[in-house]
Amino acid sequence: LSAQTFEQAQAELEQIVERLERGDVGLEELTKLWERGEELYRRLAAQLADAQGRIEELARRLDAEGAD
Amino acid sequence: VKVEAIEVEGRKVYSVRAFNEGVASYLQRLPTLWVEGEVTELRRQQRWATVYLTLKDPDSGACLAAQMPRGQFDALRLDLVDGERVHAYGRPELYTQRGDFHLRVLTIERFGLGAHLAAIERLKQKLAAEGLFAAARKRPLPRIPSLVGLVTGNDAAAKRDVLSAITTRFPPAHVLVAETYVQGPRAAPAIATAIRDLCAHGADVIVLARGGGSFEDLLPFSDERVVRAVAGCSVPVVSAVGHEQDTPLCDLAADVRASTPSVAGRLVVPDLAELRASLDRAHILLGRGARRIVEQHGRRLAGTRERLSRAPLLVLERRSSRLETAHARLRALSPRATLERGYAIVRSGDRLVREPPAAGEQLDVEVARGRFGARAD
Repeated sequence: LSAQTFEQAQAELEQIVERLERGDVGLEELTKLWERGEELYRRLAAQLADAQGRIEELARRLDAEGAD
Repeated sequence: VKVEAIEVEGRKVYSVRAFNEGVASYLQRLPTLWVEGEVTELRRQQRWATVYLTLKDPDSGACLAAQMPRGQFDALRLDLVDGERVHAYGRPELYTQRGDFHLRVLTIERFGLGAHLAAIERLKQKLAAEGLFAAARKRPLPRIPSLVGLVTGNDAAAKRDVLSAITTRFPPAHVLVAETYVQGPRAAPAIATAIRDLCAHGADVIVLARGGGSFEDLLPFSDERVVRAVAGCSVPVVSAVGHEQDTPLCDLAADVRASTPSVAGRLVVPDLAELRASLDRAHILLGRGARRIVEQHGRRLAGTRERLSRAPLLVLERRSSRLETAHARLRALSPRATLERGYAIVRSGDRLVREPPAAGEQLDVEVARGRFGARAD
């Protein structure tokens, strides 16, 4: 699962949403798909926040060096 | 000259002297002719009656000993030095005492302008045919050289121009200067050696610089050894020799031709201020680009998330509306609707009455708004 790249996880999440929006889903599957979608969302959001944090950190460090 | 042989046990045998004299007299029959070559090992002394020199082919290295009476040599007032190219007019001769072969020179002419031009043109054709000047051979200069090699004369204005152009534009540049002869007969081999030495010292670009000069002054830069050293150099060579209108052959073999030494200096290093500015621009763009990508992904993910959160409800709504429809249809099929129209259901105990019952049988009648008992007649 964790071997999935950001892009793969994103594609899977979008496929789940499209299936749900088409509505051809059994009730039991509905819960499963929704939970899976939420899990993918949490992971993707965490990865984005991590990337953002690292970019800002790097920018701060370079700014500090540039100011020397 | 009659060459006497002696008979020894039925075999004709010649003395060394007789043999040499025989060959010498044979050589005397050869015509007097012009030989072109480079003067080397020129020996002229006041107390000697003869001037000795060796003529040499610059490319093949083939040598020919030559000698000329000193009086005649001095009368020519040539002030020849080693390395100069000459045409010597003479005939082959054997010195019979030693068996030494040489050219007996009657007159010498220093290579004239026309001869030089013709020789350069011949060399140009030959090297062009070898592909030494081909555009495909030209290599790009390194963007930021780690070591610039400079071949130039000592204390030359060309040297100062190149160095000041380099240090103005790119102060941290490293330059290794090889000072050599840049004119005269010793220049060509010295320049070729300097180019190879600078390569060996790790130069990653080489500048060949010499200010303007007379046609003869610039001759070494059209010498085959120099042209081959430039073409065969393992790193790119920038040639800045003479003035704009001069085109020594080394210019054709070089990767880049600069009109002046200053231009050559500016060509081999980047402008530091410009480099800094473009680095800063790239840095800003890098930060912006990275942030934009993260933001784009963030927006896309937020949109997907919103759809995801709405989706299950949507599914449930659709299901329940289907359920409602089915229920309505189910109700429509219920027998109650029939009773409303005035029909009745008649039961006898638990059994539905479909045939006329026996007289006196107790029946149970259901109508739209209730039920009542009855007895069959």
